[in-house]
Amino acid sequence: MFVLPALIVVGVILAYPVIYALVISFTDRELLYLGKTNFIGLKHYREMLLDRNFWHSLRLQFGVITIAIPIELIIGLFVAILFNRDFPFSKILRSLLMLPVFVLPVLSGLTWRLMLQPSYGVLASFFNFISLGPTAWLADTRYAYVAILLQDIWRMWPFMFMIIYAGLSSMPSEYVEAARIDGANFFQRFWYVLLPYLKPVIATAFLLRMIDALRIFSEVYVMTYGGPSNATMLLSLYIHKQAFEFGRLSYAASVAVFLLIVALFISYFVVKRGLRGEVE
Amino acid sequence: MRKWLVCLAIFLTLTLMAATVRVLLWDDALTQALREGLPEFEKKTGIKVELELVPSATLLQKTLISVTAERSDYDLIAVDEPNIPLVAPLLLSFAQWPETKFYTRPSMADIMPLALEAGQWKGEFKGLPVNANVYIWLTRKDIIEKYKDEFKKEYGYEMRVPKTLQELLDMAKFLSKKGIYGWAPFTKPTEGATCEAIWMFESFGTKVLQVTDKGYNVVLDKQKAIEAINFYKELLKYAPPGALDYGHAERVAAFSRGEVFSMFNWPALVPDIENPEKSLVAGNVVYTEPPAGPVKTAAVRGCWIVAIPLAAKEKTAAAEFAYWWMSVETGRKLIPKGLTPARESLLRDPVYSKERPWFLGIYQSMQYAIERPRFERYPEVSQVIRNNWLDAVSGRVSPEVAVDRMVEEINAVLKKYGY
Repeated sequence: MFVLPALIVVGVILAYPVIYALVISFTDRELLYLGKTNFIGLKHYREMLLDRNFWHSLRLQFGVITIAIPIELIIGLFVAILFNRDFPFSKILRSLLMLPVFVLPVLSGLTWRLMLQPSYGVLASFFNFISLGPTAWLADTRYAYVAILLQDIWRMWPFMFMIIYAGLSSMPSEYVEAARIDGANFFQRFWYVLLPYLKPVIATAFLLRMIDALRIFSEVYVMTYGGPSNATMLLSLYIHKQAFEFGRLSYAASVAVFLLIVALFISYFVVKRGLRGEVE
Repeated sequence: MRKWLVCLAIFLTLTLMAATVRVLLWDDALTQALREGLPEFEKKTGIKVELELVPSATLLQKTLISVTAERSDYDLIAVDEPNIPLVAPLLLSFAQWPETKFYTRPSMADIMPLALEAGQWKGEFKGLPVNANVYIWLTRKDIIEKYKDEFKKEYGYEMRVPKTLQELLDMAKFLSKKGIYGWAPFTKPTEGATCEAIWMFESFGTKVLQVTDKGYNVVLDKQKAIEAINFYKELLKYAPPGALDYGHAERVAAFSRGEVFSMFNWPALVPDIENPEKSLVAGNVVYTEPPAGPVKTAAVRGCWIVAIPLAAKEKTAAAEFAYWWMSVETGRKLIPKGLTPARESLLRDPVYSKERPWFLGIYQSMQYAIERPRFERYPEVSQVIRNNWLDAVSGRVSPEVAVDRMVEEINAVLKKYGY
């Protein structure tokens, strides 16, 4: 009885939408509801697996995880090491570095869109200044995805920094001191002491960012609407388009269920591998 | 005390008995103007109006979530004309709208035939067309005045509002030497890009999709479509830098800054261009129909209808509101507040055309109105058209490849849904 309220809350808020999405993914339920829904089995899942746009979107979504997050991690890690000592204004600088994380994704997207605007955008002016000429970056299939990744890296690397810095701050200084006395240079101390100690922290940060990256939507939507020519049509945008533009609610649900399963699988893998050190 | 209680009871009863009409509309200058007239409508009819305005891009989504065959959160909804085939099964036929007490059914004779056509689907009117939304063509008359002699020396004819696309191209080439961009496209990957494609295809003499008694046919003529794409690419050479990423915001800004000679616009976006506080070209713009292509003049239409869902609870009140909106009196009162009328008599009224010169532009353009493909799955077809169109005009693929893909992908959509 004691845990019943919690179970009800979890059931209503968490489980119901997931179960509902799973159920309608096996039906022909459309956004235009005419009062009848038919069971169609795995038809949508089959269509999804045969749709080259789906695979393209999935690749783009994983691109964010495999390209942007490692870069954010590397920047965050080295800035955290840099800030793990006292120097003038370090506290103020540390706070200022955090600012991008607090920018709403949709505002970040709009800001980047304006910065890359070919006529009056600040970045476009810079590129023009270095003789690259006026280019519609967000309308170019070669650069639009890069711009999306840059925006994500700019906004989210301080998140990595924040978590890794917290991990570093809690690290007993004796570890590094002992290695230093033993004659370890900076790289050896980093590789053999800091990195193993930070492994669970990094895994946690990676996991949180990965979950976030699977939901990335609003910033991409306002920057490119998934274009040009589907070049930035991440899976989240693909789902949104299918559900709310094309009205294919049940098909979108089947893609969302697939994404959920993939996310759970990766999370399990990261938790098992990354946090093993901590558990042991 | 007893007297007061009786009064209170009567007041509460009347309040509860009064109908409330819930209206879902798109958000722009037109619908915002409606708000200002609501107190008068409520006072005369005793009907309370709950008006909800949402951005046009998300209106369809909101509509389909809120309205089903069995239940409707709204009594009156706005539907953009390309979405009428999709939403039609949920709508009460206009012929079946209930009799009203305060306002009469407007005369359809006062609505231009091509605007009226927007409200029908498979021969049946699904609602009341409430605006005459169509591509209108904007041209800077001060630029014409300044360069007309010089232009004539070079090209042998007078510079004027471009009557044909070829004239537009000539003028764009000429003005590029003066630091003025001849034209501004719409290239953001949204519905606007589909409209550009349809406009050019029709101007060059080809449609994309045709509805017949037997179903739907892809009728895109490859040669004409390629010519249209190549011409658009040629025009793009005289557009502002970064023209491949141009949406409404960029186009209106460039035009208002005085950088662009001539371009299309939707009527709702014109008032800002004529506002001296927001625009450097206010008072210097002529409004006409778009320049003709080699085959015909085409102006993309995007009329909105208001419709009553089959499951609406307050159908009579909804009809009262729609008829009030369409009445000449309401038009006269709300035009100064920003309303764009659908009635021909108001669009051509000299009183308004002097203050709002674009009204005549709307009237002229509506004579050449063309529709986007009418199809229950239009959003998917639109996506195919704009993706391939943008691929071609930006040079990512050749026009030949883009047109072939467009045909192939639209046929795939038709096949997927069993057409």
